[in-house]
Amino acid sequence: MTERIWEVFRQEADGDPMVHAGNVNAPDDELAVHYARELYSRRGESHRLWVVPRDAITELGDPDLLRPPFDRTHKKPGGYIIKHKLEAAKQRAAAEAGEAPDG
Amino acid sequence: MVEQSAVTLDATARGALAELLLSVADDEFVIGFWDSEWTGIAPMLEEDVATSSIAQDEIGHARALYEMLAELTGDDADRIAYGRDADGFRHASLLNHARGDWAFSVARRYLYETADAVRLAALARSADPSLAALAGKMRREETYHLLHADAWLSRLAEGGGEGRERLAAALSVLWADAQDVFAPLASEEELVRSGMLPEPMRALHAEWHSRVRPILDAVAADLPALAPSLDGRTRRTDDFRWLHGEFTSVYRSEEGALW
Repeated sequence: MTERIWEVFRQEADGDPMVHAGNVNAPDDELAVHYARELYSRRGESHRLWVVPRDAITELGDPDLLRPPFDRTHKKPGGYIIKHKLEAAKQRAAAEAGEAPDG
Repeated sequence: MVEQSAVTLDATARGALAELLLSVADDEFVIGFWDSEWTGIAPMLEEDVATSSIAQDEIGHARALYEMLAELTGDDADRIAYGRDADGFRHASLLNHARGDWAFSVARRYLYETADAVRLAALARSADPSLAALAGKMRREETYHLLHADAWLSRLAEGGGEGRERLAAALSVLWADAQDVFAPLASEEELVRSGMLPEPMRALHAEWHSRVRPILDAVAADLPALAPSLDGRTRRTDDFRWLHGEFTSVYRSEEGALW
């Protein structure tokens, strides 16, 4: 049998993000799904699986593209303080809710 | 059909239900032990995990059935599973054969899973509510088992070469004994009359036969049309006696011990 590698992603509960679990060797799509089920949910630990042929994944791993050598701090939101504005907005919302208790 | 629970059954009905439960439980138990013999040596790592896991599922089904039987007869599930001698088992003769090579195990799993699917579909309609509920639950897991067996049968059949030859050879060895999953039960009349078994075994056998025949004809020519044999659940072989010695060895080492 010619085997290919399939990457398996699993979701623990409905709504959770799909997280990479590992991979399986299999000769085709059908057995890949069987093996993913047995290796990553035979004890009922997954809510959903994604089984993806490794060669269907487009990889981007070039550090020049992902982490360019120039300073990026101006793209981060660190300089913008919203804490006080957020608290004020929450208080305003609470006050409005108090005025109209029956909605 | 009147809804009834196990406790209200009279002695005849209880005995009949016990025979039915034992036959299904022993089938699941014995195929589970045979297939667990592949742990560590299946064709590839992933298949090793899959086969072992399916074998464990079958043991799990057997356990649920033995527990139901134990409750019905006031016995103990572990004693029923491990405390009987080889001749006390009531599995179909299909499960008397040793594991064999991979193609042999695939052929047997296919024959058994297809027969089990027909039987479980009937038992899910049983007039006994506990049995109907358990059969319904087992079917959910057996659907996957059948898909897995189906996937392997078609791969060996369509792959050609040695795999296909070995598969055809295995099918011709196992075919006659495969009928015996539907061997008549001594108390079958009572089971059918009460609706605990909604259809007689011969009807289930005919349904299974018409379902698998077209698929198997494409692999192994000249499989004869056969009926289940009367002693299909009482014949035992040296292969099974060996397996029985293996799976009872721990129980016999300290009988009655709590693990």
